[in-house]
Amino acid sequence: MAATESPITARAFFERVRAGQLTALKCGSCGELAIPPRQLCPACHAKAWQPVDLRGEGTIASFTIIRVAPRAHAGDAPYALAVVKLREGVSILGRLVDIPLEKVSVGLPVRFRPLVIGNQPTVGFGPS
Amino acid sequence: MEKYGTTEAQMAAVAVKNHRHGALNPKAQFQKQITIDQVLRSAYVADPLKLYDCCPFSDGGAALVLASEEVARRHRKPVWVLGSAAASDWMLLGDKRDLSRVPATERAAAAAYRQAGVGPRDVDVVELHDCFTIAEIVATEGLGLFEPGAGGRAAEAGRTSLGGEIPVNPSGGLKAKGHPIGATGAAQIAEIVTQIRGEAGPRQVDGAKTGLTHTLGGNTATVLVSLFGRD
Repeated sequence: MAATESPITARAFFERVRAGQLTALKCGSCGELAIPPRQLCPACHAKAWQPVDLRGEGTIASFTIIRVAPRAHAGDAPYALAVVKLREGVSILGRLVDIPLEKVSVGLPVRFRPLVIGNQPTVGFGPS
Repeated sequence: MEKYGTTEAQMAAVAVKNHRHGALNPKAQFQKQITIDQVLRSAYVADPLKLYDCCPFSDGGAALVLASEEVARRHRKPVWVLGSAAASDWMLLGDKRDLSRVPATERAAAAAYRQAGVGPRDVDVVELHDCFTIAEIVATEGLGLFEPGAGGRAAEAGRTSLGGEIPVNPSGGLKAKGHPIGATGAAQIAEIVTQIRGEAGPRQVDGAKTGLTHTLGGNTATVLVSLFGRD
């Protein structure tokens, strides 16, 4: 498949999230994976992205529990945010849902969960 | 914490130390000492950071006068810029290769030390970006003052306090002196210049000859490290 310059925009990425699909970009030049979408390959600086569907499975690399939230999310606190290392090797920040806060730990397996917060599709993770 | 066993008490030691320093600085926002217990009992904001692990919102200003060597020599106690370097890193947390380190600090420090022809052991006093207590611990490691993972224990042992082997944030730092965002970098340099001139009063680091400032922004994606000295 021919590599294109912008196969997936940020808007398209989040619309795919809304539809239940987590999508990364694969560099057609060096094979590096990146998520969410960006202009240049962080490894080789090429613009040769191809979209790749991810399985949405990963483990928690680090996390925090937000007790004092930004105003727009104040009603949701406390809630957990985690950097999740996905099975394919890339990592992304997401909100944890349906996992008791006291059970959240580094290494815990989680699965991608599409969230919509204030009509904005958002990356979430729930129990695996 | 997961990797090196850094504890909340070690982080609290940074806040207590910076408040102790701030109490010696008539220009600090908080000139009041606090205890480890007060820090540990304060409310969580974003675990493991509690209220007293976080710097305040501040108003403030700072000014620097820069001059050529020729002009500077005609005035009192010039302080020289020995080196100054910026470095960057990925901004998104998911892109960071190792969440326990700040590569931009390590690269900016390496370049600034090289320009100045000095190393971490030659530095007498440091003003660094303690926006959160853990940020000070990680910065002391990234600047080469301590090995990766050893910064928490060093803070707890008093090695970064006034009177310790490498005093960090004698002004009180962002934590107690305050963090007026746009003015913070210049305020750090003002403190280092005051220290190198020997005019810091009760918070003076004895014999301070070489000083370092470290400022970061954008989720640790941008770091500036500068070194200063006198004749």
